Amino acid sequence: MDSLDFTAVLRFRDALLQGLLTTLELTLICIVLGCAIGFAVGLARTSTNLPLRNLSSVYVEFFRGTPVLIQLFWIFFCLPLLLGIELSNFASGVIALTLYMGAITSETFRASLKSIGREQFDACVALGLPRWAQITSVVLPQALLRAIPTLLSNCVSLFKESALVSAVGMADLMFIGSNISNNTARPVEVLTVVALIYFVIAFPLTRAVTVIERRILQKLAV
Amino acid sequence: MNYSFDFQSVTRNLGPLFDGLAVTLQLTVAANAIGLTLGFVLALLLMSPWRLVRLPVILFVEFFRCTPALVQIIWFFYCVPMLFNVFLGSITMGILALGFNLAAFNAEAYRASIQAIPREQLDAGIALGLNPVQRILYIVLPTAIRASIPVLLTNGIVIFQQSALVAIVAVQDLMYQAKSLATQTYRPIETFSVAALIYFAVSFPVTQLVDYLERRRLAVAG
Repeated sequence: MDSLDFTAVLRFRDALLQGLLTTLELTLICIVLGCAIGFAVGLARTSTNLPLRNLSSVYVEFFRGTPVLIQLFWIFFCLPLLLGIELSNFASGVIALTLYMGAITSETFRASLKSIGREQFDACVALGLPRWAQITSVVLPQALLRAIPTLLSNCVSLFKESALVSAVGMADLMFIGSNISNNTARPVEVLTVVALIYFVIAFPLTRAVTVIERRILQKLAV
Repeated sequence: MNYSFDFQSVTRNLGPLFDGLAVTLQLTVAANAIGLTLGFVLALLLMSPWRLVRLPVILFVEFFRCTPALVQIIWFFYCVPMLFNVFLGSITMGILALGFNLAAFNAEAYRASIQAIPREQLDAGIALGLNPVQRILYIVLPTAIRASIPVLLTNGIVIFQQSALVAIVAVQDLMYQAKSLATQTYRPIETFSVAALIYFAVSFPVTQLVDYLERRRLAVAG
């Protein structure tokens, strides 16, 4: 085979950077929206209201039980037909990944909500806190603290899954990478660099999960 | 909403979808066979006392865990033939890419449960005069596998879902068949919904089984 030539990739660094920014933008938007949905759904799944609990279970199980790619295709191809509106590929990417993130973080929040002791709720009742204050000042901070390590690894999963939006033509890092690789006929160099860029971002985050886990576990054990 | 559904366009074409499902299941089973065996070997190597053995394995595992599966699959399909001059069938390539990915995730699962094996068990093995290979086969392996079954099952089902990605490199799995059927019949909603339901019908029982095993484990432990 020909010798490897990584300088070919260097010529496209602006395009790759642009793609990376799109990937990061998409990931950040979906992290924020997805965590909000995830917390609400996590609460709904621990609620005493049966229809609410069932509805949220169906949502979570369905999104956890099907490939993200098919969810994305469904939203990209079918939602516009059903609603009769145009959806940009960025919008459908955001909707699909947000719903996916909502489903996986709701499981994280559910686990951390379960770990909050019964006596905390009793204390809220004793203090006469209204339901809303109970959620925002007692439940949310504790659930969030306990959920941080898992939430962070959910974020890494989302960052990786975001590469799928390239399949519906959104110009993220993956899409730009495969375009360059096809046009230059240098897949080895280009795809390796693309993989390394993903790695350089995801790896420190997974390390951080381990460190934070240890620190929070210590803090909670005291 | 004024869309008239026509599920007959799908039910008339269930044949290709089930052919696709057969390929998807073949990919899943074979990738799991690689993931379960190679994963265990990698886990043992990860805990080797020699840095020279440990480092490349850590690199392998972290690389697969920290880059998108889509990048790995595309990298595999384009770069392996160029770099190593091997030309395998597309299903074999898909199996290898998914299998290595799964092996990396399973290695972490095995490692966690191997590290949870109490020191005394190994001491007892030494006291009984078992050699290192026997200690691994009769003490470490059974305990580690039993402890990691829920995670291994979850990882296995994640690979079932991730296998949809091979459709992007034109392996004719369920996802690929659904995509081409949706294009041929102009019925994306019906086709993708049915395909999603097929994926769901396979993964849901497995996730329920994992939940059951987890509950039983907690009940035994508590």
